[in-house]
Amino acid sequence: MVKVADKIEEAIQEIFSGDKPWVTIVWDDPVNLMTYVTYVLMQLFGYNREKAHELMMKVHTEGKAVVSTGSREEMEHDVARLHEYGLWATLQRGDQAL
Amino acid sequence: MTKPDSDEHHGFHRHGENAFVAEFSESEREVLINLVGQIIELLGERTDSHIDDPLAAMIGITTHDSPPEDEVLLRLLPNAYADQVDAAEFRRYTESTLRTKKYGHSMSMRVALKSSVDGIIELDHDGANDWLGAMNDIRLALGVRLQVEQTSHEELELLSPDDPMRGVYAVYGWLGWLQESLIVALMDEAI
Repeated sequence: MVKVADKIEEAIQEIFSGDKPWVTIVWDDPVNLMTYVTYVLMQLFGYNREKAHELMMKVHTEGKAVVSTGSREEMEHDVARLHEYGLWATLQRGDQAL
Repeated sequence: MTKPDSDEHHGFHRHGENAFVAEFSESEREVLINLVGQIIELLGERTDSHIDDPLAAMIGITTHDSPPEDEVLLRLLPNAYADQVDAAEFRRYTESTLRTKKYGHSMSMRVALKSSVDGIIELDHDGANDWLGAMNDIRLALGVRLQVEQTSHEELELLSPDDPMRGVYAVYGWLGWLQESLIVALMDEAI
């Protein structure tokens, strides 16, 4: 009984919380210039230079970084724009392991 | 990610509020026209010739739901999801638009090169963004062919003069430097 109750509660929570947040991830690659990645993040997301530089450095040193968070539709839009400018990007649920 | 090699070429400079100017020799211009033409051709190879439904074609739904087999095309049109089913679904609805956008960047670069007088290129902000996207696609393509993912900078530096890849690597380095000069000019504006 407890298990069923938990499941129902989980389902109800999902209904009310709407879309769980999704994330857009940019992955490191050996071709893209560091300045270019910074510039693209500034242009597409309106980040200031400092924030864009910080994210770029995270990609560079850790191999990947979450660059935006939102609904699945929003993240699909972000990934499409990043692909347009040649960055290697994917989206996934925010609660999934990177 | 990487940093470009520097050398003695001119590159892009900002002129006034919204102009980015570079001067190319005839051979440099020819190299750029040739490379951007190859990207245009490559993107054109993956058209949606089998689409029967004009409405689907109009709103950009494609017949492609599997990733390109060609390694270069796959890097230009990558998967958006690690999950193959989600990736295929996303590709079906978006790949055509992505190809059109990339085609647009490359065509913009080609038109500017073809119509330049005395090798002088003058771009506005939008034109500069087109060039950045197009130059980046060329570098991504050359990077795949040079196997930069698997090969160190030092190994590429040591390619024999007879190796055709040595010339490709030189062009790749020059393009990175040219791209960087345009980014620096654009970022100056952003201060």
